[in-house]
Amino acid sequence: MRYTYYPGCTLYTTARSLNDCALKVAERIGFELAEMPAWTCCGAIYNTNSDDLAASVGPVRNLARASQLGDKLVTLCAACYNVLKRTNTALNDPEKQDVAKRLLDYVEEPFERPIEVIHYLEVLRDDIGWDQIRGKVTRPLSGLKVASYYGCLMVRPPKVLQFDNPTNPMCLDDLMAAIGAEPVQFDFKTKCCGGYLVVSQHDVAVKCSRRIIDNAADYNADVLVTTCPLCHYNLDALQRDMKAEDPDFQPIPVLYFTQLLGLATGLRKRELALDYNKIDPRPVLKKVGNVS
Amino acid sequence: MEYPDKTLIRQIETLSGQGISDCYQCGRCTSGCPVVDEMDLNPRQTILLLQLGKAEEVLGSNGIWLCASCMVCGTRCPCEVDYARIAEACRAIVLRAKNSKVDPDSIKDENIEEIPQQAFVASFRKFAG
Repeated sequence: MRYTYYPGCTLYTTARSLNDCALKVAERIGFELAEMPAWTCCGAIYNTNSDDLAASVGPVRNLARASQLGDKLVTLCAACYNVLKRTNTALNDPEKQDVAKRLLDYVEEPFERPIEVIHYLEVLRDDIGWDQIRGKVTRPLSGLKVASYYGCLMVRPPKVLQFDNPTNPMCLDDLMAAIGAEPVQFDFKTKCCGGYLVVSQHDVAVKCSRRIIDNAADYNADVLVTTCPLCHYNLDALQRDMKAEDPDFQPIPVLYFTQLLGLATGLRKRELALDYNKIDPRPVLKKVGNVS
Repeated sequence: MEYPDKTLIRQIETLSGQGISDCYQCGRCTSGCPVVDEMDLNPRQTILLLQLGKAEEVLGSNGIWLCASCMVCGTRCPCEVDYARIAEACRAIVLRAKNSKVDPDSIKDENIEEIPQQAFVASFRKFAG
């Protein structure tokens, strides 16, 4: 199977490990992600003001270009998924056709066919299936307790995204179980990490992220996994601030789900790009074998 | 700061697409808000003040600048009122009067190196005029 793939900006910089593992794992599992040419930034956040059409130009142009290549567009970054899927839904809203027409006229890219925006996790769950993934596991992550953190952008607004149960999503948990890990059920799977507040109100983001880390720790998680580069940054890098303000704070490694998927399906150590993680996951990953 | 007061509520409703009077003040939005502890006006109070016509107080509050667009409030609301959209409309009114709340020059170099760029793009979209 071959899919058109939209990586997004952050996957080319701070979230390389999310992108690179995902591409290599796809090869192992038996599907191909073909990066669409001439993609641009999706806008990073969905703007809601009714007159703010400029914010939709980027995502509309990307959707139009992707529609020239196929009927599905695969995303991996939670923010890109959220923005592109919501924009795509708005373009097809019968009540917003005047706006849709203005945007499409402006971007001067033909919309060749209806397109569906899906997440990499949906490819794994709906097209590949957990059984087939289980069959590709060469190193089961037995005994590793994983708290799957979905954040906001994968599940809300639920009416538009329809990704999973919006209050208790299970897709990542099911994937973790398929690769032999032990999914940890915790309360703050979908509680906000503070998101972009880290730029303007750093301390608020630290507080929001701390709540999530502490909650996962209460349920004895060894690691957290996420699919959002910004959640990853807040939950991983801000543990530095948590430690600075509380010497008793116990750090927990935060990984991209693709890193654990790569580990379980036999990617080489350097392909997992564990060096990019601020809280070194290698000591805890020793539970499932040597990765140092 | 001066705003054309009598049209403000209507402007907020138009920008946000939300009916201010649809809210019956149950507070479910506020009970789920992750940043409510930091807010001077919480989401429920914000909408109450708008219902009472006190838009100026809302535009001067810090609550609208603490919203992280996590969408819990709008997801929970039994009346389909989306506080996050109302906050975004309120911010737009302030920002369009040239009052940016985030100054790119004030961001530390090490943060520019480290923070994912999606955070900068999102922050400037929400908080810069």
